Amino acid sequence: MEYVSPEGLRIDGRRPLEMRKLHAEMGVVAKADGSASFVMGNTKVIAAVYGPREVQNRSQQMSDQALVRCEYSMANFSTGDRMRKQKGDRRSTEISLVIRQTLEACILTHLMPRSQIDIYVQVLQADGGTRSACINAATLALADAAIPMRDIVTSCSAGYLNSTPLLDLNYVEDSAGGPDVTVGILPKMDKVTLLQMDSKLPIDIFENVMQLAIEGCKAVATYIQEILLENTKQLEYHRGV
Amino acid sequence: MTGLSLGEKLFIQGGIAQDLRTDGRKRLTYRPIYVETGVIPQASGSARVRFGGTDVIASVKAEIGRPNPMQPDKGKVMINVSCSPTAAPIFEGRGDEEVSAELTITLQRCLLGGKSGAGAGIDPTSLIVVEGKVCWDLYIDGLVISSDGNLLDALGAAIKAALSNTAIPQVQVAADTSGEDQPEVDISDEEFLQFDTSGIPIIITLTKVGRHYIADATMEEESQMSSAVSISINRKGHVCGLSKRGGAGLDHSVILDMITVARHVSEVLLNKLDSEISAAEAVENEL
Repeated sequence: MEYVSPEGLRIDGRRPLEMRKLHAEMGVVAKADGSASFVMGNTKVIAAVYGPREVQNRSQQMSDQALVRCEYSMANFSTGDRMRKQKGDRRSTEISLVIRQTLEACILTHLMPRSQIDIYVQVLQADGGTRSACINAATLALADAAIPMRDIVTSCSAGYLNSTPLLDLNYVEDSAGGPDVTVGILPKMDKVTLLQMDSKLPIDIFENVMQLAIEGCKAVATYIQEILLENTKQLEYHRGV
Repeated sequence: MTGLSLGEKLFIQGGIAQDLRTDGRKRLTYRPIYVETGVIPQASGSARVRFGGTDVIASVKAEIGRPNPMQPDKGKVMINVSCSPTAAPIFEGRGDEEVSAELTITLQRCLLGGKSGAGAGIDPTSLIVVEGKVCWDLYIDGLVISSDGNLLDALGAAIKAALSNTAIPQVQVAADTSGEDQPEVDISDEEFLQFDTSGIPIIITLTKVGRHYIADATMEEESQMSSAVSISINRKGHVCGLSKRGGAGLDHSVILDMITVARHVSEVLLNKLDSEISAAEAVENEL
C-alpha cells in the first residue's frame, strides 16, 4: 500500500514532516487535583492527577520519596471497532509502566516523602500515538496539580514508510508494519527519557527518524508551554493580581 | 470518600430542610446542564453531558448483526457503563465494577423496557433490516469521567443526547432474501437514518435526606442520603422504569408523592435538555 503519494502527501493529507493538529485544555476534571485533556488529530486523551496524598497501601510507603502510580485505560468506544476488553490487559499494563517511569523521572519525588501521587490516563479516542498523547496530557495534569517537576516531559512518535521518515503516525500508518519510534524528552534539559521502537531500521536512518521525533517533541513542548502560560495568566486574572 | 465533619453534615441537612442547599439551589432545582454532541467521531453518535462537576460521555455504535431467534422481529440494544479512574481513585483497576454494574442495570431497566421490548425508549422493531436475518445492534457505552453525584441522571441524559445525534446508514438488501443463507447487505455511506428520540425517557433521581428529598444531589449530599429513588419518565409523563437504592425504607405514600414530583421535574428537565441538545447540534453543524 502507498502511504506517501507521489505528490508527497500522506493518507490524511499531511506532509511527511507535518504533525497533526494539537489541542490541549487544563482543568477538565472538576474533582481531581490536576487534570488536562490532550488531542492530537483524532487521538483524544484525558489525564487526571490525585495527590500528593497519604499513601493508601502502607507497605508501599517510602520514607525518602513519593510513590508515583499510573493507570492507563481505554474506553470501550475508543477504537474503530467496538471492543470489550477487560481492564488491566498486558498492553495497558505496559503503557502504564512506561508512562509512570517517564514521569517519575521528572517529578521531584524527594520533596514529598511518605506520600503518593496517582496519575490516571483515559483514552477517549485512539488513532495512533496514544502513548505520546497520554504522556503529554499527564505532564499538563501534573503541572495543573502544582506538583514540583524538574522540567516538563513531552513525547511524539515518528516512523519510516515508503522510504520516507514520517512524523506523528496515525493508526493506519502505525499498523502498516513499519518502525514506530516513540520518543519522550525533557525539552529544557535537552535529554531523552523515553525511547521505544518496534520493527527494524538501518542505523543511519534510525538516527534521522529519531531526530525527527525529537523535533516533534520540541514542537509539542512549545505548544505545551503556551498552554501553561495561558493557564497561568488565567489564574492570575482570577486572583485579581 | 467524602470525609465530612459533623458540622458540615449538619449544614447540608439543615440547608435541605430550609430549601436552600449549599450551592444556593432549591430542593428540586438541577445544576446547569451542558451538552456537547459528536465528541467521538468514530462512533455512530455520541454526546458529552455535564451537570456541574459531573461529566459523562455516551457513545452509540451501530453494527450489523443477527436478531435473536426467539425475537426475529427485533434488533438488539446493549447498554454498558464504565467509570474511569479519572473520576475517583477508587475506580482504579477493578474498583469500578460494582458501581458500573449498578449503573448499567439501572439504565437497562429504565431505558430498555421489559424482556419483550415493550415500553422501550428505542423501538427495537425499528432496528430490523430483514426479519429474522439482519438487524442493527446498538451498543451504547457510557463513561464517567468526573463524578460529583447524580451519575444516573447524567448518563440517562447523555444517552438520550447521543441517540439524537446517532445516524444509522441506509441499508440495501440484495433482492433474494427468501433463501436460508444470510442475505448480502450493502451499507450506504451517504444516506443516513435518524432515530425518533421523542419517546426516550429521562431519569430523575430523588435523594432523600432527612425528611425531605432533593433532585440532582451532589456527592456531599449523596453521602447524607437515607435512600434514593430513580424514576424514568418519558415526554407523555409515563413512568418507564423505577428503582430504589439505599437502605432506609420508604413509606409507600412517599414513593407515590415522589413520582408525582418527578413528573413535574421531568417536564422542566426535558425541555431544558431538548433545547441544549438542539443547541449542541447547531454548534456541531456549524463546524
